[in-house]
This record gives sequence, structure tokens and C-alpha cells, in this order.
Amino acid sequence: MAKLRYFLQESWLLLASSFCFGLLIAMTNAALSGRIEQNKAAKLNDLTKALLPGAEIFQPVEAEIQVTLPDGAKEKAKIFEVLSGANERLGWSFNAHGTGFAGPIELVLAVDKDFQKIMGFDVLASSETPGFGDQIKSDYYRKQYAGAPAEQLMLAKTGDPGVADTQIVAITGATVSSEAVVDIVNTFLTQIKGQMQEKGLIGNGKQ
Amino acid sequence: MASSNGSASGLYSEALFAGIWRENPTFRLMIGMCPPLAVTTAVKPALTMGLSVIFVLICSNLVVSLMRNLLKPHLRIIMFTVTIATFVTVCDLFLKAYLPTMSEILGAYVPLIIVNCIIIFRAEACASKAGPVVSILDGLGMGVGFTLALCILSAVRELLATGHVFDIPVMPKAFVPWLAMQMPVGAFVTLGLILGLINVLTRKRTVPEEEPEAAPAPPAAEPQLPATA
Repeated sequence: MAKLRYFLQESWLLLASSFCFGLLIAMTNAALSGRIEQNKAAKLNDLTKALLPGAEIFQPVEAEIQVTLPDGAKEKAKIFEVLSGANERLGWSFNAHGTGFAGPIELVLAVDKDFQKIMGFDVLASSETPGFGDQIKSDYYRKQYAGAPAEQLMLAKTGDPGVADTQIVAITGATVSSEAVVDIVNTFLTQIKGQMQEKGLIGNGKQ
Repeated sequence: MASSNGSASGLYSEALFAGIWRENPTFRLMIGMCPPLAVTTAVKPALTMGLSVIFVLICSNLVVSLMRNLLKPHLRIIMFTVTIATFVTVCDLFLKAYLPTMSEILGAYVPLIIVNCIIIFRAEACASKAGPVVSILDGLGMGVGFTLALCILSAVRELLATGHVFDIPVMPKAFVPWLAMQMPVGAFVTLGLILGLINVLTRKRTVPEEEPEAAPAPPAAEPQLPATA
């Protein structure tokens, strides 16, 4: 009992102020969390709109589609059906992520309505080296994905970056970052495509 | 009355201006060196960082000053940390809500303000001993000094790395960007050169003040010159 009294005597200020500070943070969070979520969604939508011109409506795909990551972990893929203002399907978009040169890379990928062609990708978050690895955000690198077939991609050291094929030409001085993006796209794209074909969400490409 | 009034305002201006130049945390005291190296690739994030630090510094100084008489000596550091962490979290949420791009660029460096030693240093050295008004002014002065230092460093780095300042192009088209200035090496080199420059400037400024004492020295040194030569 005496111990408890001593404890309270010494630490009442810490307990009281921790409670007040906790309340302050909770209030700030309650006031701002809606806006923070909105910002995140707006960024994803803006990037997707740039990849799929005319996109208006983003409908989450309900079907359970699981992606196995290179380290063996499984996770549910976040896929959106992208519709135009007139409710016409323009394509699909999904989030993909993996490890880059200096930390995690988060991408958003867009494909056309039959999952035959990649429409492009954009970087949601990355911490690649400025001037080198962060050129994965550059038009030079990103344009190579636009129009490429939605199949297993390959990284090449030399080649013509202007041709839309499965060969992606690496960025000079940033091979690891270039390869990381190719790996992330391969991991997510082929698995999602396969499972969506199984579930009948898209044609199997043979009709 | 008049004299006490004068000394009080002197105390206030002292608290406000010490941090800006004489005790500038980055250039004179060399504390809290992580943000000056990490977030000075461009002026905008540096300014955001500086303003965040001003906010946290003023708030934590005020709160610590108000509870300075209740602090138990052995629990004071934990109290400071809890106070600072609260305001940093508030600031971080605010940036995420209203300046999402800046929040993304600054990344982990906003939460890391919690362990920025400028803030805990001012809580220990000033706010836990002085009244609320002096503490607020001290926080403002130190924060502004820190922000100015970040802006100077980032202006030099952004100019040389991209040819822009505050995202406005200023260099001629033929300018070749120095990519190294955007990388950690650019931060160290710029900081070192600016510190050297400031040392040269302050040395020149203090020499005339010491002239009466230093005056006998030159005549004593002059006869030695022919002797050594």
C-alpha cells in the first residue's frame, strides 16, 4: 500500500499528462483521419485516371484473389474495375508492391479491359536513390510498359525502349531498381490474370 | 520600475534572438544535425520541416514551462519526451491531411522530430527553468534559426542539383545538374562549406573587438619575421 502511494506521489503528473496528451492525439486523429483517407484514395484515383483516360468510377473487385509473394506470404489482391462515366468498362487497376534497392516500392498498375495489354504503371511510394533509382518514375522507363502485353516481362540491358513488347530496357545506373519493378509487375500481373480467368471475370484470351 | 521593465524586455529579445544567430542550433551549436543533412534536397520540404519544428518547439516549451514546478527531477526526461511526442504526432497528422505531398517527401523524418535534440535541449536548458513567455520566445527563436539554416542549405543544394530554387527555374538552360548535390554527399559538402564560411565571417567580426589587446602583438611579431627569414 505504501509502495502504491509512493508510486502515485512520484508519477501522478506523468499519468495525468499522458491521459491529456492521449486525448489530444485522439481528437486530432478523429478530426483529420477522414481527410487523410481521402487523400490516399484521391492519389490512387488520380494516378489511375492518368493511366486509363476517361476513368470515372472505381469499383472494388469482391472476388477472393490471392497473390503469393516471393517470400511465400499470401495476401488478398486489391483490384478495381475501372469504369467510364457511362458505366463502360475501361480496364482494371491493382496495387502491387515489393522490395527495391533502398526500401519498399509500391506501384499501381492498369491493364486494358480484357487483361491483354498493360496500360501502364505509376509509383505510389518508393525510396530509391534520387537521380538514379528514382528514374523508375521517369517517362522513359514508364512508357515501355504502356502497351506491353500482359505477360511475363523480361529486363534487358540494351534494346529499343520505344517498342511495346515484353522486353523492358533497364535504366543505366539503376539495374536493381529496374529489375525490382519488373519483378513486382511479374509477381502480381500473372497471378491476378490467371485467377481472374479461372473465376470468369475476364475471358481466357482465346475467343 | 523602468529598469526592471527594461531588463524584462531585454530578457525577451535575448531569448528570441539568441537562437537565430549567436546560438543558431545548426550552424553554431551543431545539434540536431539529422534534418539538415536529410531533408535539404529542396527548399519546400526543408521549409515544411522547419515550420513543423517551430510548432513542436513552441508547444513543448510552453507545456514544459507551465509544469516546470511540478517536475520530479528523475522523471523529467520522460515527461519531456511524452510532451514532444504528442505534438509531433499532432503535427504529423496535420501534414498528412493538408500537405500530403510534403508528408510523403519528408516520410519518416517528421516522426523523427521526437528525437531531435534541439527540442529536448531547449526543454531542459530553458523551458524547465523559465516562465511561459520567455519559453515561447526561446522556442520561436531557436525554431526560426533552425528553419533559416535548413533553407540556406536546401537553397544551395536545390540550385546546384536541379537548377531550381523553390521549384522555380533560375539557372540558364545550358546548366548541367550536379546529381551529387541531391545525395548525402552533397549535404555533407554544403554543410561543411557553409560552416567554414560562417567561421571565417565571425572571425573577421571579432578581430576588431579584440584590437586593443591584440595591438601589441604585431610589433612583437614583426621583428621576428626578418629573424626567421
